[in-house]
Amino acid sequence: MKRRIALEALFFGALSAGVAALVAWYVAVGPRELLRGEDRYTLVAPTILFALAVVPLLGWALRHSLADLPPLQRVLSLALRSLLITALALALARPARTSESSLVSTVFLVDVSESVTDESLGDARAIVQAAWQARGENDVRLVAFARHPRVVPIDDDIEAIPAISRHASAAGAVESAGAGTDLEAALQLAYGLFPPGHLRRAVLVSDGAQTEGDLLAEASRAKRFGVRVSYHAYKRGVPAEVAVRSVTLPDRIEVGSTFMVRTRLFATTPTKVRVRLRQDDAANALDPSRELELPRGETEVEMRSIVRVPGPVTYTVDLDVQGPDRFRANNRFATSAIVPGRPAVLLVESDPSRATYLARALVAGEYEVDVRGPRELPTNVRELERFDFVVLSDVPADAVSLGQMDALERYVRDLGGGFLMAGGEQGFGLGGWGGTRIEQLLPVRMDAERRRDQPSLALALVIDKSGSMTGIKMELAKDAAKATAEILSAEDYLEVVGFDSQPVRVVRMQSAANRLRILTDIGRLAPSGGTAIFPALDMAYQDLAVTRARIKHVILLTDGQTQESGLETLVQAMRAESITVSVVGLGSDVNRSLLQSMANLGGGRAYFTVDPHNVPRIFTRETSTVSRSSAVEEYFQPIVASPADFLRGIDVGSAPFLHGYVATQAKPSPAQVILRSELGEPLLARWRVGLGWSLAWTSDIKNRWAVEWLRWPGYQRFWSQLVREHMRQRRRQTLDMRASIEDGQVHVEVDAIGQDDRFMDGLESRVTLTGPLGARADRRTQRPTNDGGSAAQNGAAQDGGVAAPDESAREETHPLRQTAPGRYEARFPLDRYGAFVLEAVHTRDGRPIAESRAQVANPYPREYATIEPDETLLRRAAELTGGDREPTPARLFDPRGEKVRHNEPLWPPLLYAALGLFVLDLLLRRVRLFDRGFRPRRRAGS
Amino acid sequence: MIELAGLSLTQVLTVLGAVGAVVVGLYLLKLRRRQVAVPFVRLWDQVLADERTTRLFSQLKRLLSLLLALLLVALLAGALGDPRWKGASAEGRSIVVLVDASASMQATDVRPSRLAKAKDEVRTLIDGLGPNDRVLIARMEAHTTPVSPMTDDTAVLREALDSVEPTEVAASLAAGLRFALDVLRDQPHPEVVVVSDGHLGPARDGEGEVALGAVALRYVKVGRGRRNVGITAFSVRRYPLDKSRSEVLVELRNAGDRDESIELSLLGDGQAIDVQQLQLQKGERIARFFQDISGADRTLEARITLAGGAHDDLPADDRAYARLPERRRARVLCVSRGNLYLQAALLLDEYLDVTEIAPEAYPPAGRHDVIIFDDFVPSTLPDASAIYLHPQPAAGGVGPLEITGAITRPLFEQIDRRHPLTRWTALRDVNVADSLAVRLAPGDKAVAGDARGPLIVAGTRGGRKFVALTFDVRHSDLPLRVAWPLVLLNAIDWFVEEDASYLSSYRTGETWRVPVPAGAREATIVAPDGDTRTVPVLEGRAIFAGLRAGFYTLRTRTASGATAEQVFAANLADDAELDITPESRLVVGATTAGRVVPGRAGLRAELWIALVLAALALICIEWVTYHRRVTV
Repeated sequence: MKRRIALEALFFGALSAGVAALVAWYVAVGPRELLRGEDRYTLVAPTILFALAVVPLLGWALRHSLADLPPLQRVLSLALRSLLITALALALARPARTSESSLVSTVFLVDVSESVTDESLGDARAIVQAAWQARGENDVRLVAFARHPRVVPIDDDIEAIPAISRHASAAGAVESAGAGTDLEAALQLAYGLFPPGHLRRAVLVSDGAQTEGDLLAEASRAKRFGVRVSYHAYKRGVPAEVAVRSVTLPDRIEVGSTFMVRTRLFATTPTKVRVRLRQDDAANALDPSRELELPRGETEVEMRSIVRVPGPVTYTVDLDVQGPDRFRANNRFATSAIVPGRPAVLLVESDPSRATYLARALVAGEYEVDVRGPRELPTNVRELERFDFVVLSDVPADAVSLGQMDALERYVRDLGGGFLMAGGEQGFGLGGWGGTRIEQLLPVRMDAERRRDQPSLALALVIDKSGSMTGIKMELAKDAAKATAEILSAEDYLEVVGFDSQPVRVVRMQSAANRLRILTDIGRLAPSGGTAIFPALDMAYQDLAVTRARIKHVILLTDGQTQESGLETLVQAMRAESITVSVVGLGSDVNRSLLQSMANLGGGRAYFTVDPHNVPRIFTRETSTVSRSSAVEEYFQPIVASPADFLRGIDVGSAPFLHGYVATQAKPSPAQVILRSELGEPLLARWRVGLGWSLAWTSDIKNRWAVEWLRWPGYQRFWSQLVREHMRQRRRQTLDMRASIEDGQVHVEVDAIGQDDRFMDGLESRVTLTGPLGARADRRTQRPTNDGGSAAQNGAAQDGGVAAPDESAREETHPLRQTAPGRYEARFPLDRYGAFVLEAVHTRDGRPIAESRAQVANPYPREYATIEPDETLLRRAAELTGGDREPTPARLFDPRGEKVRHNEPLWPPLLYAALGLFVLDLLLRRVRLFDRGFRPRRRAGS
Repeated sequence: MIELAGLSLTQVLTVLGAVGAVVVGLYLLKLRRRQVAVPFVRLWDQVLADERTTRLFSQLKRLLSLLLALLLVALLAGALGDPRWKGASAEGRSIVVLVDASASMQATDVRPSRLAKAKDEVRTLIDGLGPNDRVLIARMEAHTTPVSPMTDDTAVLREALDSVEPTEVAASLAAGLRFALDVLRDQPHPEVVVVSDGHLGPARDGEGEVALGAVALRYVKVGRGRRNVGITAFSVRRYPLDKSRSEVLVELRNAGDRDESIELSLLGDGQAIDVQQLQLQKGERIARFFQDISGADRTLEARITLAGGAHDDLPADDRAYARLPERRRARVLCVSRGNLYLQAALLLDEYLDVTEIAPEAYPPAGRHDVIIFDDFVPSTLPDASAIYLHPQPAAGGVGPLEITGAITRPLFEQIDRRHPLTRWTALRDVNVADSLAVRLAPGDKAVAGDARGPLIVAGTRGGRKFVALTFDVRHSDLPLRVAWPLVLLNAIDWFVEEDASYLSSYRTGETWRVPVPAGAREATIVAPDGDTRTVPVLEGRAIFAGLRAGFYTLRTRTASGATAEQVFAANLADDAELDITPESRLVVGATTAGRVVPGRAGLRAELWIALVLAALALICIEWVTYHRRVTV
């Protein structure tokens, strides 16, 4: 018995294990799918089939049944129960049929941005309603979008679609939620709404004026997802609207010069408007407002303006519309520019009180002018760097040290500065500039040719050759005498008297034409003995008195103390005979008061110096002064020798006479004579020296020779333009920078191309964005005013909003990355509205080498700028994805032969089958189907 | 609460009632007993004596049996109703899963890749969902694209997840979050789950910082490696004047934490031009310039490999592509009585085929891209872009501009520096003796001039661009300056749209606007991986957003049937994607992302499975009890 039970257990166990093995085989390697015709059958969770292993065990239970059933019925019951379990296990294994469906799911994307009128929204609702009623088994969803899309839930059992409302803005939002149209985002949201097993359709109901995103780029993706994009373009006419499209300033604004502010206006219907232009916070002085009759379309308005202060300036245009205007946000436009600072001019004048004439003219021409005496001329080039132009007016050469000259030359040559020497009694040759480094710098030579009508000169040099002059002093004194001899012309006479205790005629009075001999004689001067001036001066007096010359002059050089009496009387006597005396005191122990009084009495000049090196210059200057060889004191009219840009608008022909000038000679080309005297001598000449300009103005610029010019209306303009043309150009190179705003991002591009057709690579660049400037349009709730209605949208803040407390301009700095040879770029988001300026600095090895400027305006949300509908955009998107223009509901739900696969679960039929099997199973138990004849058979037996 | 997704409640009750009635009916049947004749009478006493007690017991057994049967029917009928936990306001979450598919997710520091790992993480997340959680899966790169609807159907979600593919694009967290916020608006218990390595850019865009509000932010970190050297910029550009030569920029960065020695190769049309060995310290960035590259190379490619053939963790940024803007030969017709300055200037560009004819011979046969009218105006508008030099109309001629008078000594005072015509020119001090005073048509642009009138005008006539110089260049010093050939060549470049954007490559993830030949309405783009698609053309530009780096081919067909093919390059060129060290935290504004919380109940929504399982168990048990006579 026990053995039989064990055998039974083994048999049914083996059977059960067999079933389990079969299932395991199926789960592991059995076919995943079953194809029958078009349909495809799969089991999602086949592991549950292991439950089938129970089935053989049912048989074992049946073997030990106590139930009173006929054997056939038992077997049937077992079969039914097995089937029942199999059905349930199969249901749990989740069979599914992948089949094809042609149901359509349509997502309506309705544009509810501000540019859409209420009437249009009504039309949109009607379109959705028609589709809703015709949908049948198909699926219809609704999304309302502006800047962001929002799903509008529709209950399945409603009949009429509710009115489509605009998007409410969050409290304290920067701008209205409707101030933007993002078709791309709306379409993206739609992808997530299509239920599985439906053909995908999207219907855009929009004006196509997108402000963010790119519908066409998204359309390619939509096509990929199998979404057909159809569209309905809003048909209602554009609302009455006036907008400022742009405000443009010239590329270069200069302080003090007028320019035009160009405003482009746009109107959808002819309207009357007043255009108000404000400069920073005040009305634009030159042209504050205009009344205009705007025609339909675009109109350009030009308004004159002038900037008086360098730095950032912001222009704001405001429109007062007399008539209907849908949006107010776009009636204001602000744009900014940075006006470079005034150029600085250093005006060096030996008598600063007489510098005011030119200084005043230049200040009126928007220059910063710094007037100084010759001593304050900077001695190093660093200090000069802050000036753009240097004028040396009527300054003698001996007032300018070699260091100062050197600095000036380097300033012009290396830093590109502008330099002008103006004449006067001490200018050019008269100031002893001949032979200096400055003469080399200037476009003119100072050894003017003598003219016939000039007086001839007899000059006596009385030179101290006492023992104290030994050495360098003597040598320089000789050099001075030689230089004097050199600059005298052939018609002049020269005598050199050397003296110690006794006077000696080193050079007899003779024509300066005998230059060679004179120089040799001078060379013979040798120091010895004491100091006795009187005899020497007397000797010179005697000799001059008998010489025929129109000018007779004595230059006395001494370095010693002298207490001689009678000198002053002698000088007075000489003066009475038109012989003038100048004195040069060398060293610190000269009798200054005596020498000064001699010079005063002698009608000459007194020079004191401790540096013997100055002596030659003093001599030459004194000689030039005395000879007046180069001064031409006569009235003349300047003549244009060659035209120059800076003379534009100046009629030199109408300029008054000048009263004199210093005769010079133009150097050969490239020196260029711009203005000349009637005698053909240069009045104004220029040439380029290194990086800069050097100019010579041989007349003066003050109330002596130019006295009539000071009253000439062209005086200021002449000098302003002259300086502007020749002043130092910007310290650094300016690189071209462009800035634009796309999708809320500022995109900055700098093109760095050097002078030599080369790209400038490896710069470290940073750009600083400042703004919004001036206009108080920052951080405000910009709500439009709908004249057409939509009261719900127009609560408070009708007047363009309430200004937020913080309105200061912000600054942010971003690095520019090199993206290509000679190209630098930056991108960063901008979430403010208004006018912005961008300034970039480009450095190499830490040294700034170039800069860039640009401006960018982000006046109001783009939604208010795009008024015309753009059906082309919608049409292209529809063409690409296979959508339609204005599809009817029937067309919309027409699958057009398309099918989409979807999984259909098959477990419910199996459960129905299980229920049926169960009922049958019960029937088998409750009704004796077989063995019914048992009793009669039995009865027959009894 | 429970809702029924299958049969409605009425239907369920109907099924239950009908089947239940049959069952009850079956139980009401008197079970016909087998009659057995037993010969022993005494036994009957015992049988009859027990009957009183067993009747109650057997009736109870019968009742139990009936109840079991009814329970079974109820279970199956209920299962047919497909009941689901509903509403569950306290538990159901709405989750948007943003799967980062940006370039850095191709890193292979976790095998097989970060993206595959990310998908595994999302699968785990799906398995751990609560019964009422609804999920939308979206692919996040520069744009965010949903791949599934918002659903609780895990099968749909799993399938959607499989469709997420890697891209070579920089990710934009701001775009992803904006999308998620749009989807989650007004949804219960909103959550955003970001599955990423954390290099996603700032959560800031044109609208400012993304404000999450009540939306919970979760972050699942993927990845662990950081060894990466990549090309951050690769570009080629022709020199402004000498367009036969060009310069190449390659910028490399070592974003890893160790020094690397690498080999940089530059290939032109597939052939190696230059190979360099470079040492990059950790974090170092170097730029290499290849100057004066000449020759006819159309395509350029830069490749880097680590020394010793090793690979870094992200191979996607080890190659970069560029293409020299094609130089189209322009056929230029000069209608002139001889102008040496003009001839000399046009000689500078070897890509111009210049023909010169006398005005009497105009119009000649053949097509020209650009016609230069020197001191002559044709009687009809030319069918080509035109440059008019001193367009003083002779008898019968129609110039582009209406002449109203003359200006003496005009000045270059206002110059539009942004206009392509004035690029690289210095015109301010050009001297001009006199010029024509002209009236501009709407749309015309005065490129340079002064308050009295323009000197250079650019505009469109009859659909063709034109440039007019209102003065005779021989009466000016312009021809003596570099600006003169530059203005002419700039104008020709502007006409043939060459160099309008010198772009040597586009950036993946951005919307590309690729210029196409006039007249084309649709274009076909073949991506580097062979994927071909049709793209729209708007305003002469094909619009497309590519996701892969490499060379693309753009084919266009115009209405006249002419086909054109052009090749352009696209690069990842994003610094942020290069740094692949995974971020352990994700911070948006003041919010630090939390960890993913599994659903309250591990059981997914399908209650019918439980019901059927119960029924299955019941059937087995009942079988045994029946045959052991516990139930009848």
